[in-house]
Amino acid sequence: MSVQINFDSTWQNEFLHRIEEDGPWGSWELYKLALEVENHTIIPEFEGLKAPKHLSSLTPLPHQLEVAKQVVENMNGKAILADEVGLGKTIEAGLILKEYMIRGLVKKVLILVPASLVTQWAIELNTKFYIPAITQRKSYVWEQCDVVVSSIDTAKRNPHKDIIYQQDYDLVIIDEAHKLKNNKTKNYEFVQNLKKKFCLLLTATPIQNRISEIFNLVSLLKPGHLGNETDFYQKYQKDSRSIEDDEYLKELVNKVMIRNRRADTGIEWTKRKVETLPIEFSKEERELYEAVSTLRKENNWMNSSKFSVMTLQREACSSREAVFFTLRNMLQKKEDPSEAFKEQIQSLISKVEAVQTNAKADKALELIQEINDKVIIFTEYRATQMYLQWFLKQHGITSVPFRGGFKRGKKDWMRELFQKNAQVLIATEAGGEGINLQFCNHIINFDLPWNPMRLEQRIGRIHRLGQEKDVVIYNFAIKDTVEEHVLKLLYEKIHLFEKVIGDLDDILTKLDFGNIDDHLIDIFGKSASEGEMKIKMDNLTSMIQFAEEMREGEAHATAGNSAFS
Amino acid sequence: MQQQEIQHFLERYFQANNCSITDKGPGYLTVQLSIELDKVLMNRPFYWHYLEKTGGIPNPMQLTLITDPNIAPKTIKGETIHFGSPRLHQIFESTKNLAGYIRLYEKNHHSDRQQTPLRPWLGINLRISYQCDRKRDVFRSIGLQLINGQMVDHFHEKLMTVSLTPKIPDYSFTLSPLVMPKSGIIRIQHFIQQEIATEDHQWAEEATARWQKDLNLLEHFYQDVEEKEESYEIEKQALKEQYEPKVNISIINGGLFYLTDQAISFPA
Repeated sequence: MSVQINFDSTWQNEFLHRIEEDGPWGSWELYKLALEVENHTIIPEFEGLKAPKHLSSLTPLPHQLEVAKQVVENMNGKAILADEVGLGKTIEAGLILKEYMIRGLVKKVLILVPASLVTQWAIELNTKFYIPAITQRKSYVWEQCDVVVSSIDTAKRNPHKDIIYQQDYDLVIIDEAHKLKNNKTKNYEFVQNLKKKFCLLLTATPIQNRISEIFNLVSLLKPGHLGNETDFYQKYQKDSRSIEDDEYLKELVNKVMIRNRRADTGIEWTKRKVETLPIEFSKEERELYEAVSTLRKENNWMNSSKFSVMTLQREACSSREAVFFTLRNMLQKKEDPSEAFKEQIQSLISKVEAVQTNAKADKALELIQEINDKVIIFTEYRATQMYLQWFLKQHGITSVPFRGGFKRGKKDWMRELFQKNAQVLIATEAGGEGINLQFCNHIINFDLPWNPMRLEQRIGRIHRLGQEKDVVIYNFAIKDTVEEHVLKLLYEKIHLFEKVIGDLDDILTKLDFGNIDDHLIDIFGKSASEGEMKIKMDNLTSMIQFAEEMREGEAHATAGNSAFS
Repeated sequence: MQQQEIQHFLERYFQANNCSITDKGPGYLTVQLSIELDKVLMNRPFYWHYLEKTGGIPNPMQLTLITDPNIAPKTIKGETIHFGSPRLHQIFESTKNLAGYIRLYEKNHHSDRQQTPLRPWLGINLRISYQCDRKRDVFRSIGLQLINGQMVDHFHEKLMTVSLTPKIPDYSFTLSPLVMPKSGIIRIQHFIQQEIATEDHQWAEEATARWQKDLNLLEHFYQDVEEKEESYEIEKQALKEQYEPKVNISIINGGLFYLTDQAISFPA
């Protein structure tokens, strides 16, 4: 095959000119230096990365190098990095960024990450990759700095947005990109309008095999590649899951997405020990729980909000404070409350007041003292969080709170306080996302989220690369309550806790039966009897088990990096 | 290039450009730029323009570069430089620009006062880039004797063993070239092109196959679209730019070298 050969003739014209003019001529030392530079910047092989050679303070893992290589060699710098939680996507993105910078292909970079991770990203890029990334604090950094890390929520607001739109980015990196699956959102629109040459989307949640998600994410990376939206959806029905049957879509997804599973990486992970601790209510707590539970049977006003009963039951399993807040809110929000309604709430509040102890908190205290090391407590409720902080303080145990709503600086501060000064970190659900705490190896699930994925995320905060010890997880469940049902009938049956991180999201993805919360609300809320509830629960369990078997059957056939086989 | 090598490189670079290093320590250095280098690196044309118009006293800047923030003293303020940073690229680029063209004479050490003839050589250093969706570079250094037309590979390596000076040494004289530099360049160009043309271009075939595969994918998504929109053409063009195999040859630097007969040993 003959190949087009271009010979750059600009040098020779100038050379002949200088011969005529008798100079000027360069210095021999600089001439030699220029060739040394050449020697450093040359790319000697079609394949392989240059970056690792220049990074003395980093030893990337084989799968991380492989991802970076794939993206640079085969994906043209436009990729969805969808490794399972905790495999080091930041390192992968850093390697790719560094590689492009060394090759002189990337200069201007925008990195959009959750607020809680902004500082961490900047530190990692600076210390591990020698990339002077700046965290966005003033609006002028967009123009003046080459590598900026910011949260998307800041970036998409004016005055920042307008300035950012003026910039030509060589590379845009977006962490937690699963939030961009919907193209009707402001975030999506914002990212779509960025001027970018290369783009990396990082997500721990794989594409859910849904056509619309594929269309939206691919359109961010390669606008126009899929034809127009209407035609596309005519061909592939919006919610269909025909991807696996369609060669073209499969090929396309393999072209833009890389996913490593823990099991594929060949890394020895530390063990995960799960202990479920059944806890007995005190007499008063039991009374409160029963009182809340009877609401459903008795009153019509509750019918409209089955969810409330469920919520109250779950809260009663957590703390009296949590119940109290909800009750007070119900009272305040109700327009024209009837006397009966007020009375009912009041009687419940008196039950709340009768409770003097918290069985779970006592157990937690006992555990924390026994562990005598750092512990993270997760709870679903802010009221419980505040109570626990107070409670632990009474017993001389230092703790720091952590919530999703904290500003970036406060999150960093709390994390540091926990690492250096406090024994316990008490986090609510939203706070679990985007914070890495691998210096700690004990988790207490004070109450359980109903979505198993969220449980995975909780554990993923500590059971990740860099964790050197075995991880111990304590699950609290109050006997004879909804909590115990969920734990015993669902989580334990599907062996949730023994799973390696990431297995579960794959399974639920395969299943594609919607939100697990909805199923549980339906089961507990609408079942007329205990028996019906158990049957429904069994159904759900077997569905998950079925998906699991399906997946195991396929796992071996799955080639390489794709989530699809 | 490790951070320490960068530091070493920078020191040599600034010294070669006659800039004094005013301060240095672990992981950093401060340099007083010359006027010339200030113009090259600091990107402030208005200042220099203003100064030339008003005839003021030039005040080139000082530049502090931190090559390793982990070991540099915390009090040092400056620009962090790393392999891949735009500043280092700029310095690399300027190295090439500042030393793109050269003319040197061999220093010979004849004790008797005999006149030594120096033969003219054209030396050129090239980068050959094989480019498709991936890239591979090959460095070549070719020397052409401008009297008998002899061509020598690895020319720069050979030059490194010779002692060279920018001024013609005493008791030396240069012979006039029979081959003009212009046609010398053309000879080298033909030689290289010939060589490339006879190579095995499997890489290009593979790239073309990948290109075709991507095109098929694109066609598939547009097959039912009757009037293909602009986006289709844009995507198609983007694929061409990404995959189309080509070889780009560029000259890094080169020049005239006047050497004794003994300087270059010819391969048999």
